Amino acid sequence: MVHISDGVPLDPLLIMGSWVVTVAILLYALSKMKTEDVPKLSVITAAVFVASLIHIQFGPTSVHFVLNGFAGVMLGILAFPCIFVALVLQCFLFSFGGVTMIGINTINMGVPALIAYLIFKTGTGLDIRPETRKRASLFAAIAGGLGVVLALLFLATELITIGDVFLETTIAVVTAHLPIIAIEAIFTGVLAGFIAAVKPEMFEKK
Amino acid sequence: MKTIRILIVIALLLILCMTSIASAHRVIVQGQVSEIQIKAYYGGGGADPMVDADVEIYAIRDGQEELYKTGKTDDAGMYYFQPLIGVSEYRAAVEATGHSGEETVNLAEGAGLTESEQAEAEKEAGLPVAGIITGLGYLAGLAGIAMLITARKMKKEYENK
Repeated sequence: MVHISDGVPLDPLLIMGSWVVTVAILLYALSKMKTEDVPKLSVITAAVFVASLIHIQFGPTSVHFVLNGFAGVMLGILAFPCIFVALVLQCFLFSFGGVTMIGINTINMGVPALIAYLIFKTGTGLDIRPETRKRASLFAAIAGGLGVVLALLFLATELITIGDVFLETTIAVVTAHLPIIAIEAIFTGVLAGFIAAVKPEMFEKK
Repeated sequence: MKTIRILIVIALLLILCMTSIASAHRVIVQGQVSEIQIKAYYGGGGADPMVDADVEIYAIRDGQEELYKTGKTDDAGMYYFQPLIGVSEYRAAVEATGHSGEETVNLAEGAGLTESEQAEAEKEAGLPVAGIITGLGYLAGLAGIAMLITARKMKKEYENK
C-alpha cells in the first residue's frame, strides 16, 4: 500500500513539487556516484524492485516489502536513485503506483531511506569493524524499521490532504505493516552485522 | 347390475374430471437477474483477496453516473449487489487503505467475465515472472550506462591531474 496510485486526488501542486524535489535530489545523488558504487547500487536496486512482490496477508490488508531503510543503510545518498529506478520499473512492469505519482512515491520512500542512513551513520559513526558489529547491527535494525515507519507517516500525511483522518489512517497503515516493519528491521540488522564481520569496507564513507 | 355399471361410469367420469382439474395448475416462469458479483483481489503475486474493502457501485444511466450502493467486501474479497431495473451498466470502485481499483460491468455487453476469463485474469495477477526478468534486464543495462558515465568522469579527472 505504500505506493500512491494515479487515481488518488492529491493536490496537483504537491505532485509537481514532489517531482521537482525528486529530480533535484536525484541529480545531486548521481553527481556523487562513483564507478565502484554502481554494482552495489544495481544489486540493491534489484532487491528493492523485486521485494515489492513479496506479499504478506496480515489482517484485512495485503502488505508487501519496501526495503527502503535497508537501501538507505547500504547505499547512503545513493538510496534515492535506487528507489527511484525501482519505482519506475515497478510502475511500468507491475503497474504499482502510477506514472504521475513516481515523484511523490520516490519522496515517500526515498527521504525516509536517507533519514535511515543518517540514523545509521550517527549511531555507528561509520566506524564499522568486525569488533563493532553488534552496534552496527543494532542501528541498522533501527534504521531498517524506521525507514518503513517514516514512509507510512509520509503517506498518511499526504492522505489527510484528501480528507482521510490522520491519526486513524496512520494507525491503520502502521498496524497493517507491523510484520513488515519487524521483518525489515531484523533483516537489515542481521545483514549489517554479517557485512560488518566479513566485509566492513562496504560501509566506508561515500 | 345396470345401476352398478352406471355408477362405475359416473365414478370414472368424476375421476377424469378431477385429473383435468389437477393438470390445469398454472406454470409460472419468471426471468430475473438477482445479483451482480464483484470480486476484488491484489495483483502482483498471490492474488490475495481484498478483505473488508470499501465498495462503491455507481449506476450508469445514459452516460450519467450516480452512486447506487456502498458496502464492504467479505472475507473472500466478494461483494454482491442487486441490479436496478432498466440499468445495465455499473461502475464498481473498490478501495482499501490506499489501494484502489475499478471496473465497469455492462450487462448488455456480455456481463463481465466468464469463468475461464476469470481464472486467466487471476493467473496473470500471480507472480509476474516476465516482468521480473524484464526489470532485471533493464537494471543490468542501467548499471552499464551508469558505469560508462562514471568511468568517463573518472577519466576526465585523471587527465586533468
